Amino acid sequence: MAKKPAKKSKPTTKAKSTKRVVKAKLAKPVKLVSKPVKKALGKRAAAKPVPKRKGNVFPLDKAGLLAAYRTMRTIREFEERVHDEFATGDIPGFVHLYAGEEASGTGIMMHLKDIDRIASTHRGHGHCIAKGVDVKAMMAEIYGKVTGSCRGKGGSMHIADLSKGMMGANGILGAGAPLICGAALAAKYRGDGAVGISFVGDGASNQGTFLESLNLAAVWNLPAIFVVENNGYAESTSRDYAVAVDSYVDRAAGFGLPGVTVDGLDFFAVYEAAGEIIRRAREGGGPALLECKMIRMFGHFEGDQQTYRAKGEVEDIRANKDCIKMFSERVVESGVITRAELASIDDTAHALIEEAVAYAKAAALPTAKDLTNDVYVSY
Amino acid sequence: MARKITMRQALNEALDQEMRRDPSVIVMGEDIVGGAGGGGEEDAWGGVLGVTKGLHGKYRGRLLDTPLSESAYIGAAIGAAACGMRPVAELMFLDFMGVCFDQIFNQAAKFKYMFGGKAETPVVIRAMVGAGFRAAAQHSQMLTPLFTHIPGLKVVCPSNAYDAKGLLIQSIRDNDPVIFCEHKNLYATEADVPAESYAIPFGEANVVRDGKHCSIITYGMMVNRSMDAAAELAKGGVECEVVDLRTLSPIDWDTVIDTATKTGRVVCVDEANPRCSIASDVSAMVAQECFKALKGPIQMVTAPHTPVPFSPFLEDLYIPSVASIVAAVKKTMAN
Amino acid sequence: MSVGRTKPSGPVVGIIANPVSARDIRRVIANATALQITDRANIVLRVLSCLKSCGVNEVLMMPENGGIRHHVRRGIDRAENQRTGEFPNLSHLDWKISGTVSDTIRSAREMKERSCAAIIVLGGDGTHRAVVSACGDVPIAGISTGTNNAFPEHREPTITGLAVGLAVMGRVPARVAFAANKQLVVMVGGQQEIALVDVAVVTECYVGARALWRTDTFRELFVTYADPEVIGMSAIAGLLKPVSRAEPFGLHVKIGTAAEAKFAVNTPIAPGFMRSVGIRSYARLAAGKLMNPEIGGGSIALDGERELSFTENDEVSIVLKNNAFRTVDISSCMQYAAKKGLMREPGVRRQS
Repeated sequence: MAKKPAKKSKPTTKAKSTKRVVKAKLAKPVKLVSKPVKKALGKRAAAKPVPKRKGNVFPLDKAGLLAAYRTMRTIREFEERVHDEFATGDIPGFVHLYAGEEASGTGIMMHLKDIDRIASTHRGHGHCIAKGVDVKAMMAEIYGKVTGSCRGKGGSMHIADLSKGMMGANGILGAGAPLICGAALAAKYRGDGAVGISFVGDGASNQGTFLESLNLAAVWNLPAIFVVENNGYAESTSRDYAVAVDSYVDRAAGFGLPGVTVDGLDFFAVYEAAGEIIRRAREGGGPALLECKMIRMFGHFEGDQQTYRAKGEVEDIRANKDCIKMFSERVVESGVITRAELASIDDTAHALIEEAVAYAKAAALPTAKDLTNDVYVSY
Repeated sequence: MARKITMRQALNEALDQEMRRDPSVIVMGEDIVGGAGGGGEEDAWGGVLGVTKGLHGKYRGRLLDTPLSESAYIGAAIGAAACGMRPVAELMFLDFMGVCFDQIFNQAAKFKYMFGGKAETPVVIRAMVGAGFRAAAQHSQMLTPLFTHIPGLKVVCPSNAYDAKGLLIQSIRDNDPVIFCEHKNLYATEADVPAESYAIPFGEANVVRDGKHCSIITYGMMVNRSMDAAAELAKGGVECEVVDLRTLSPIDWDTVIDTATKTGRVVCVDEANPRCSIASDVSAMVAQECFKALKGPIQMVTAPHTPVPFSPFLEDLYIPSVASIVAAVKKTMAN
Repeated sequence: MSVGRTKPSGPVVGIIANPVSARDIRRVIANATALQITDRANIVLRVLSCLKSCGVNEVLMMPENGGIRHHVRRGIDRAENQRTGEFPNLSHLDWKISGTVSDTIRSAREMKERSCAAIIVLGGDGTHRAVVSACGDVPIAGISTGTNNAFPEHREPTITGLAVGLAVMGRVPARVAFAANKQLVVMVGGQQEIALVDVAVVTECYVGARALWRTDTFRELFVTYADPEVIGMSAIAGLLKPVSRAEPFGLHVKIGTAAEAKFAVNTPIAPGFMRSVGIRSYARLAAGKLMNPEIGGGSIALDGERELSFTENDEVSIVLKNNAFRTVDISSCMQYAAKKGLMREPGVRRQS
């Protein structure tokens, strides 16, 4: 599969055409269906009912909606750009891109403050950006420069910023879950109302660390929230193969924890469910699990030829399962935000990423003494 | 004011004093209180061999019994440390490291480095080590080399009650992850231990016996055996210098090099298995740094390359004996 | 397993089992269960074996990737290995699964086209509503695996399977076996939706996460029937003035704030979740009469899920319709079976 050319994806009105396509497919075998049912079918066949009403029908005010769009757009720009830069060979090592999953990270992180802590996976750029980690420092870290978030010592898979409550992307799947139990334990001990959120994928949900953490969080009633970002693949292996029952809510139920499944491509569904779960945890209601069903736009890692995908799968995702496009459709159609306002954010995000790449490329490399420092606080 | 107490009591005292001094110190582990959720006594055990007994009553809510779930609770201790707490997590037997090693060596050990210096993980992981308890292969190992190999971890293994208290206090105050090894056969041994709080710095070996003929470099339970060997050899006029390493990472290379240079003859005694042991680590360093000073080949006395056997007769053969240490000294003296 | 085009031997029963019902936010804010996938599969297996014992040999199921299919297949394979002969032939509709409600609607429509004698539905109110929107005259039998389950009656699924089996095999006459049901039809602008139990008009505009629980936003409630023994929005009506499923009218309740309300009803609006609901007035809802909401803007919840929002610019109407769809009357079937000795056999059969 050839590498994708660089392109800035702009929101387009796709939802209507999607409906027409589905309607046409259904129209063929249906001959005896009455008009009201046909109408209902046509309307219902869309993935989600799109409110065509004017006015703010959303749980966020306009500023909040713009902030959400800004975060998602920044993540998408960042990841698309890293994809392009990686293809030139300038970025060392491995990167794992979050493009397509923005609604999940953003919808959750908008409820968090710096004192709340998250632990991420190898696919951590989106979580970092949504948690407020500096974008330029992130880019510099990916390039292995000394002004990177981790002074070039961690790389893409280990970007962290403890001052923002980001306990690191992690190269060991499932390792974040016990760490978040610890963060939640610290929060509970101090009584500061903070929560901890552990992100895992559908694959890592099979790790013992994850399952043990569900139990530990339950028995200690920790303000720990486990988010399963179910994008259907663990590297090349589909969850249909690897996960005995594709329901993480059922796994949580096994430990007495409540669980909620949402469409991870629907920012508002994620935002609302995450809000309730986080509020409950802050108030001492204990741990819970949130499953976000989603897709990922790129491969497991950059360079992954994705031969495990079905024919046309990636094109279908780009066309029909773009969470940012769907968000844009809804807010524009409601009249709360104009296309021009979104376009302005697109430009800002693009400029920020441009700046970040330039910054990263120009930044200095670590020196030889950086090799041996910061192993210990003191030795 | 010093008085004779056991290593078990010394460790308990160290925890007690640090918990009193610093509210961010919490202790967790399996059965460290004991009786959780049951109808019997509270504080039923105070640890499987009683090291934490009595602390639960003094520090309510700061000693947490855990489910049988090492990767979760060791990981939680590490996560809490990264968030500013000072947890002391008990791994019960260091042999159980297999189920939680990732949290220790890939997470705790590497946070400071991977995050560009912007993280601190002041966690202490206490664990029992060593053979002689008839606890068989999966509860008797000396796995210190696996941990000293990992950059970012510190490894401590006291040989007596006095060192145990001072080194545990230092471990808790230290800002790096520390693996604190407690030899289960030494819990009952006594020493003069001051009642007040004191800390012994890491990377400072203790020369427990001066001697000019041969250096025995060792740690843990092997210190006592080495002292017995030295006493026996002294009858024959061979004066051994016995060096108790106390901390294996950082290790006191200065004292190692000094003693090797002084005597020119080195015997490393290690309860671990021979391949990649502490003994081989020290021997290599001595060979590199003190080659000219050496008068004879370095000797290593270790356990054999086998798991720990159960049958007492066999286990006693497994652990390096006084006789084998004496033989090793004689061998290096022979040249 | 694809469906053959040859005529099946005997009646075909359709089963639509929703893997994603009972997964929403009420797991967190109320004490709602999340019925596990394996439990749903077990329900299907119970139903299948009862259908078989009545002589139903062909069952057609909705395809899904939620895991029910795999567990059901495992159960069937085990029985085949042990030669118990206890299950009918099971096939699945064969098309690309979207993982959304459109799978339910499409399945219901295709089961109707393939002349299924009945459709058994495992799901909550939303699933049942989706099935009814497409199944036409095919009678449905509901098994509650959702959150509130105001529509499907609560009973042991084994009995549901048994009753459906007797009904489709003609052992119970149609006039006894099948009941007529009411429906609410809602029009917002040009868009039409239906509800099987209740339509709530609320001031909250947001339609995202779909679950209804903020009572201070409730304004009006329209119900097809009012059963004091169910939970959910319709419980407000049920505890005010019960109306049975058979009566040819519904109820219209006007809800208000503390200032406006004449009194309040303490109502279980979600599992284990009691809320005080202020009542301004209530009256019988006649069939065929077009009703308009009082408020200019807000949203409409259908069977407890916020589905549509509207503003002053939209034409909104709600109307009760009698004889809108059919259900298998499980209770009548079983009473008839007992009275007529349908389950009696001449001698004791050897059971494997």
